[in-house]
Amino acid sequence: METAEVTATAEPGVPEQESPQDVRTRTDGRKPVLIEPDLEFIRVMGRTGGDSLKMCFQCGTCSATCPLAPDDHPFPRKEMAWAVWGMKDRLMADPDVWLCHHCNDCSTNCPRGARPGDVLGAVRQQAIIHYALPRFLARWVGNPRYIPLLLAIPAVLLWLAISFRDRIGGALGFHVPTEDEIVFSFTPLLPHWLLDSFFGLFGAFALLAAVVGIWRFARALKRSETWGENPKPVKGVGASVATVLAKILTHYNFTFCETDHRRSISHFGVFFGFVALTLVTLWIITGPVNPLIRGDFIYPFSLFSPWKILANLGGLAILAGLLMMIWDRLYFGHLAGTSSYFDWFLVWTFFLVVASGFVTEFLHYLRMTPHRQVAYFGHLVLVFGLLIYLPYSKLAHLLYRTTAMVFAERYGRIVGEPAKKGGANR
Amino acid sequence: MKLSTALNRENRGVAATVLVILILLPLAASIVGFVVRGGRDVPEVFLEKADPRWDACVRETEYMRFYHMDFLKEIREDVVRSGVKGGVTLAGCGDCHRNRDQFCDRCHQAASVNLDCFGCHFYPETDAERISAGM
Repeated sequence: METAEVTATAEPGVPEQESPQDVRTRTDGRKPVLIEPDLEFIRVMGRTGGDSLKMCFQCGTCSATCPLAPDDHPFPRKEMAWAVWGMKDRLMADPDVWLCHHCNDCSTNCPRGARPGDVLGAVRQQAIIHYALPRFLARWVGNPRYIPLLLAIPAVLLWLAISFRDRIGGALGFHVPTEDEIVFSFTPLLPHWLLDSFFGLFGAFALLAAVVGIWRFARALKRSETWGENPKPVKGVGASVATVLAKILTHYNFTFCETDHRRSISHFGVFFGFVALTLVTLWIITGPVNPLIRGDFIYPFSLFSPWKILANLGGLAILAGLLMMIWDRLYFGHLAGTSSYFDWFLVWTFFLVVASGFVTEFLHYLRMTPHRQVAYFGHLVLVFGLLIYLPYSKLAHLLYRTTAMVFAERYGRIVGEPAKKGGANR
Repeated sequence: MKLSTALNRENRGVAATVLVILILLPLAASIVGFVVRGGRDVPEVFLEKADPRWDACVRETEYMRFYHMDFLKEIREDVVRSGVKGGVTLAGCGDCHRNRDQFCDRCHQAASVNLDCFGCHFYPETDAERISAGM
């Protein structure tokens, strides 16, 4: 990594007349800051959607028009400065990068076309890589060259699990169906115990990576300069989490977006569809040990079982939201922002997961064997791509944005409050 | 009403509440069902094993599992329209699958598929019924 030493005061953007030597020996009490521009970071930003970065001439229009920026130390002007200077460490520990919901009001109003919205999106990708464990997985997810490998990993693992199914199942004491036994649907090929153990094992790794990522990010956030020195919490942790959950459920912050206001609707659909499917899956996995719901899970599910109805509606909600997202990104790119490969990876993985799920369902109702098993196998490989790669893909925003929002709530850095609004922009 | 109006900031709370209730509805239904049943488990869907005296069904198991309804309709066509009697009868199923409740009804109930076979046809379940039906 190339580094060049430049010095400046802690206040970015203020021109400094003193020579580096003067700054180091200064006696006025202000601490000099040694800036080590991370040139590799700037180069990577240019390749991942932040190529407009250098256009910024620090006018501050973006911060003024941002409907989500708080009054003090608003974003994204200061983030633009840090990005131009390659100050990666500050950006990684900055909550504002995640308080941004990519409305693109800044990008459409920018007089220089620096597209701060897209730059912050590229910074978020770098943050996901920075906090990922292991980091190379997050780099693979962000690079189209690794698609075959990313698909081959779950495919090979699942194939191995199926190949050794009966031996593993017998050794672990699970019920292995025999030839003359009457069994249902997918059970002979992919019994529930196999899916639960397979996704349980790799899900545990993903959960560990998620916890480590949140922990590292939270540790960095505590020291973040965005709060000012010695910040005092204005809310308890519990109250902050509750408020943030309510804000996420209602998509409160999204509703302030003006340029890309459609995002608040498409994301709403995908969000609730995902919650519905996740909950149905969790209930089904925990069903055997939960007497309250055990009786409901009799296979095959009736099409009119409440769980089946909810799951189908959830899938349709995701599909509708995703089609809206894809449409907006393809045909309203100037409003929805530049879509990097990292963005498309999540969108298409999500789309293929839901589409392959519905295809499997239809093939199953059509009783097409082995087509339905093949479709189910593909569906499971894609589900792996969505859930197990969660801490490494853009889906990790649900870890880091939530964390940043909780911190912001706790330290009174409230976004979207109309206090500063009502000026020339409205 | 336009979707963007229905989902504006003022209505978001209502929309989110409705969706959360919708998502929790099946769970509530499950719990109500549990209480109504008096805390007992729903009996598992269970298919009776075939009588071991016969070594094979008229078709392969996989075929029968998925296409038994079409198979029965084909035989009905043969008998009623063409007058061809192949020897396979619905009552004959009962030779191996002795219990209609366990062989037909439970699975059909679970899958919400109505059975209209037994409005006309008799399915003997006990040996006494078999003898009285002359089988």
